[in-house]
Amino acid sequence: MSRNDLSARGLVRRYGGLTAVEDVNMDVPSGQITGLIGPNGAGKSTLFSLLTGVEQPDEGKVLLGQRNITRMSPDARSRRGLVQTFQVPSLFPSLTVADNLLVAAENRRRDYAGDLLGFRARGRSGALQIVDDVLASLRLEDIRESIAGTLPTGALRLVEFARALCARPDVLLLDEPASGLDAAETERFSALVRRIADDGVAILLVDHDVDLVFKVVDRVYAMVGGRVVAEGAPAAVRADPTVRSVYLAQGPLTSKNTGASPAGGPSGGGPPADSPPTGGPPAVAVSSGELR
Amino acid sequence: MTSINLALTAISLGAIAALSGIGVLVTYRTNGVLNFAQGGIATLVAYVFREMVVEWGLPIWLAAVLALAVLSPGIGLLLERLVFRPLARRRASAAESLVASLGVLVLTLGMTAGIWGLGSRGDAPSIFPADTVKIGDTRVGVDALAELAMVAVFCIVLGILGAKTKFGRQVRAVVDDRQLAELSGVPADKVAAAGWALGTTMAGLTGILLAPQFRLTPYGLTLLVLETFAVVVAARLASLPVAVLTALGIAVAQSELKQVTLDGDAGTVLTVLQSNLFIVMLLVLLLVVPRLRELGNGDSGSTGSFSSRGAPPSGPVSRDEARRDVLGKLGGAALLMAPMTFAPADLRSAFMVPALALIFLSLVILTGYSGQLSLGVAGYAGLGSLFTLKLANGDLFGLPAVPGIWAMFIGAIMVAPIGLITGWPAIRRRGLVLALTTFAVGAVVSRFVFEQPDFASGLYVDPLELFGAELGDKAFYLFELFCLGLGLLVVRSLHHGRIGRALLAVRDHSEGAAAVGVDVRSLKLLAFTISSAVAGLGGALLTFSASSFSTDDFAPMQSLLWFTAVVVFGADSAAGAIIAAGFIVAIDVLAPAGSSILAVGILALSLGWLPGGLASAVRGGIAWVARVLADEFVPSAHTTHAAANRLARAGGAVPGMAGAAGATRHGAAGSSGTSGSGGSGGGIRIVLPAGAPRPTPLGETLLVAVANHTARSGLTLEMLPSARAGEADSAERQGLAGPRPHLPGVPVERGA
Repeated sequence: MSRNDLSARGLVRRYGGLTAVEDVNMDVPSGQITGLIGPNGAGKSTLFSLLTGVEQPDEGKVLLGQRNITRMSPDARSRRGLVQTFQVPSLFPSLTVADNLLVAAENRRRDYAGDLLGFRARGRSGALQIVDDVLASLRLEDIRESIAGTLPTGALRLVEFARALCARPDVLLLDEPASGLDAAETERFSALVRRIADDGVAILLVDHDVDLVFKVVDRVYAMVGGRVVAEGAPAAVRADPTVRSVYLAQGPLTSKNTGASPAGGPSGGGPPADSPPTGGPPAVAVSSGELR
Repeated sequence: MTSINLALTAISLGAIAALSGIGVLVTYRTNGVLNFAQGGIATLVAYVFREMVVEWGLPIWLAAVLALAVLSPGIGLLLERLVFRPLARRRASAAESLVASLGVLVLTLGMTAGIWGLGSRGDAPSIFPADTVKIGDTRVGVDALAELAMVAVFCIVLGILGAKTKFGRQVRAVVDDRQLAELSGVPADKVAAAGWALGTTMAGLTGILLAPQFRLTPYGLTLLVLETFAVVVAARLASLPVAVLTALGIAVAQSELKQVTLDGDAGTVLTVLQSNLFIVMLLVLLLVVPRLRELGNGDSGSTGSFSSRGAPPSGPVSRDEARRDVLGKLGGAALLMAPMTFAPADLRSAFMVPALALIFLSLVILTGYSGQLSLGVAGYAGLGSLFTLKLANGDLFGLPAVPGIWAMFIGAIMVAPIGLITGWPAIRRRGLVLALTTFAVGAVVSRFVFEQPDFASGLYVDPLELFGAELGDKAFYLFELFCLGLGLLVVRSLHHGRIGRALLAVRDHSEGAAAVGVDVRSLKLLAFTISSAVAGLGGALLTFSASSFSTDDFAPMQSLLWFTAVVVFGADSAAGAIIAAGFIVAIDVLAPAGSSILAVGILALSLGWLPGGLASAVRGGIAWVARVLADEFVPSAHTTHAAANRLARAGGAVPGMAGAAGATRHGAAGSSGTSGSGGSGGGIRIVLPAGAPRPTPLGETLLVAVANHTARSGLTLEMLPSARAGEADSAERQGLAGPRPHLPGVPVERGA
C-alpha cells in the first residue's frame, strides 16, 4: 500500500435510529480516480464527512497510508495531504483569488507564533511560487487579483479546485465538483482531474452526474441505503443489477443526458457496449435539488 | 420562613421572567431576530409608565392601557417597519439582525438616559394593589397570582394560536422561508409585524412589572431583562413551556438558596448566587445545552456583512500607495497629538480616547479580523484594570507592589490566559450562541468580581511614575498614545501576512479554511487571547485616566454599547476603532450624559441602509465622489506625467495667463493646492473651458485638490483620443485659453 492511499475500514455512522453509513470499506489509491455514486440519502455525504473529518464515525477507522487518522480534525488531515472541496464553493469571498490560494499554499505548517513575532518572510516566496504555478496551469492568471466574492459560479469551482491543489494534496476529495459547470467547463474539468491523478494524487469523486463519474473514474463504488452495493470498474458497476434497479425505476442506465442536470452536457464518449438503448426517460433527474 | 413561603415569593419574579422569555421567543420564532433590545424597550416603557402615573397623575389603569396597548406594540410595529423589514428584505444574516437589535437597545437606552438621566428612581408604581390573599396557611401577593395567571393565559393562547389556527401555519411558513411564503400568498410582513408587536408588548409588560420590585435605573433594569435570556436558551429558542418552567424553576431555586448560609469564600459565592442565579444559569446553560434550534440556514456566524474587507495586498505596494498610506497615518497621528495643545481640563477629557480606542481595537481583532462576535469585552477590560491596580497596590496574591506602568503591562498579560480559557467555548460556537456566551461571561465576571468588595474595594490609583518622575498630564497622554501604538502594532501583525490571511479565511468560511489546513481552533483562540490582553491594557488605561476604579465603567451593558460602536464605525477598521473612541468621548464631553449612547444607537440603525458600517460608507462615499469628480473635470486621469509636464511648460511660458476664467483666483487656488507638491510659485492651475461658469471658491479648491491628487499620484495612464486632439493644438491656444471643444474638462498645469 502506498503512503498516499486513503482507505476506510468498517465505517459506521448512526444518527439516532438511522444508520447513515453501515460497515463501509473503501480504497482510494493514489494515481487513480475513484468514484462514489448513489441516490439521494444513500449516505454519500455522510461518508464524505467521515473521510474529511467533519464528522466522526461511531465505528471503524480511516487510514491515510498506514496511519490511522480517524480522530483527526479536518485541518490536521489537510496538513497531512487530505484535501477536500465542497458542494457549495467555499472560497473566502473577501480575499482575492491569489490570497485564497496563498492561504492554502502557506498553511501546511502551523507555527503561528513565528509569524506573530515577525519572522514571516520565511517560506513565503515558496508559497507564492506554488500559487503562480497553479494559476498558470489552470489558466486563471487573468482573475488573479479579482475578489473571490465577485466571481461567477463556474470560476468559483475552478478557483476552489485551484486552492485545493495549492495545499499540495496527496488525496483529493471532490464533492460534486461539476455541479454548476456548463458542458465545456465540465469537459475541461474532467481532463484536469485526470492530469492530477496521473501525477500520483489519489482522487475521490462524489457526484450526481453519473455520466461524468462513469466517464472519468477508474473504479467506482455505488452506495444505497448506507451500504456499498457494488464496486469495481465502471462498466461492471453500470451493469450491476442492484445499481440498475435503484437508479432506474423504468429505463436502463444510459449515458444520455437527462436534461435536468445542469452539469450534464452531452457525453463525449459513446455509450458503453453493455448499455441497452434507452427505453424511456430515466428517473435520475437529480443534482439541482441536492445542492443545499 | 418556610421554603414554601419562599417559593411563593419567588413566583412573582419567575412569572415576570417567563413573560419576558415568551416575548423574546415570539419575536424570534416569527422573525428570526434574537431581540437584545427587549431590555431597552422594557426600561423605556417602564419609565414612560412611571412618568404618566407619577408626573402626569394619570390613573394607573389608563397609564397601563396607554403603555401596553399603544406604546409597546407601537414600538414593535415601528421597529419592524423601519429597521427589521429592510433587513429581512435583503436576507440579512442573523448576525446583522443581532447588531440591529443591539442598535435598538442602545437607542432606547440612550433615549431613557437622555430624558430621565442615569440616576435611580424608587417610586415606580405597581399596576396591582399591594394586597395579599390567603392560600392555605400562607399569604400570597395579588401581583404574583396575577402574573402567574398572565403567563398561563399567554402560554395557552399562543399554544392554540400556533398549533390550531391559520395564523400559526402562516407563522411557520414565514419562518421557514419568508420569500417562499410570500410567493404562496402569506402576508409575511403582517405576520412579522404581529410578532414584533407582541414581543415588544411583552417587553413593556416585563418592564412595568419589574420596575416596582427594584429601583428603576436605565442600565439596571435593562440588564435584569437581558438576564432572563437564560430562560430562552433553556428553551433552545423554541419551546414555550420549557421557557416558562425554567423561569419559575430558576426563580424558586434562587429564593431557596437564601435559606442556606455558608462561611468563608463559599459563603461569598453563595451570597452572590442568591441574587444572580439567572445570569449564572445563562452561562451554564449555554455551555451545557448542546445546540440551540436556530432558525435559518445557520449562517448566523457570518459577520461578513459588516466586516468584509480583504487582506492587505500581499505583493509589493506601489510607491505612491505607500506614500499615501504614510501620509494618512501621519495625519491620524497629528490628530491624536492635538489634545496636547488643549487646556488641562480638556486634555484630561481626552485621556479616555486612547484607552477606549484600545478596547475597541480588541474588538476589531476579534470581530473584524477573525469574525467572532464578542459581547463581553468590558469583562476583560475590567479585569485588566483590576489586576493592574492590585499589582500596583501590592495586594495581588502576596506579590510585591509593582510600579504602575509595569503593573499595567503585567496586568494586561495576566488577562490573556483568562481570554484563552473563556475563548475555549468559542471554538465550537458561532453567531448567536457565541454572542450570548461572551455576554454571560462578561456579566458573570462583573457580578462575581467587580461588584465584590473583596476584590474591588480599597483600590487606589496612584499617579504613574517613570524613572522616578511622576507623569504629568501631557506625559500621561503621551504614554497612552504609546500604548495605543503598541496595540496598533499588534493589530498590524494580526492582519498582515500569513496570519492575517488565515484569520480572514476563518472569518469568511471556517470550514473552507480548515479544509486547506488552517488551524481554525488555534487561530480563534489566538485572536481571543490577544484581544483580551489588548482590552485589558485599554481597561487599565481607562481607570488611570479616570483616576479611580468604577464598576460602572466595566458593567456588562458597556460591552454591548462598545460592540455596537465598533460595528458602526467599521468592525474591520483599526482607524474606525480610534475614530469611534474619539467620537464617543467628544459627544460625552460636549453634550449631556447619554448623548453618545443615543448617537451610536441612531448610527447602528442606519446599518440597515449602510451595510459595512460608517467606515465602509465613508470609504465608499469618498471613492464615489473622487470618481465622479475625476470623470467630470480631470482629463489628467487620462494624462501622462509627460503630458502634464508639456502642459506645464507651455503654460509656464506665459505665467498667469493660463485660463482666463480661472485666473482671478489663481493665487488662492495655487497656494491651497500645492501643499503636497511643494512647488513654489507654479503649482496646479485650473483651466476652465471658455464659457464655463466661474466656480465658487469651494468648488475651485475642490477642483485643485482633485487635480493635484491625480497629478501627484502619478497614474501612468494614456490620454484620451479627444484629449490628445486637444493637446495637439494646445501649444498655440495655451496662452489664449480659447475654446477647447474636445477637452472634457479642466486640464492640469504643473509648476516647473
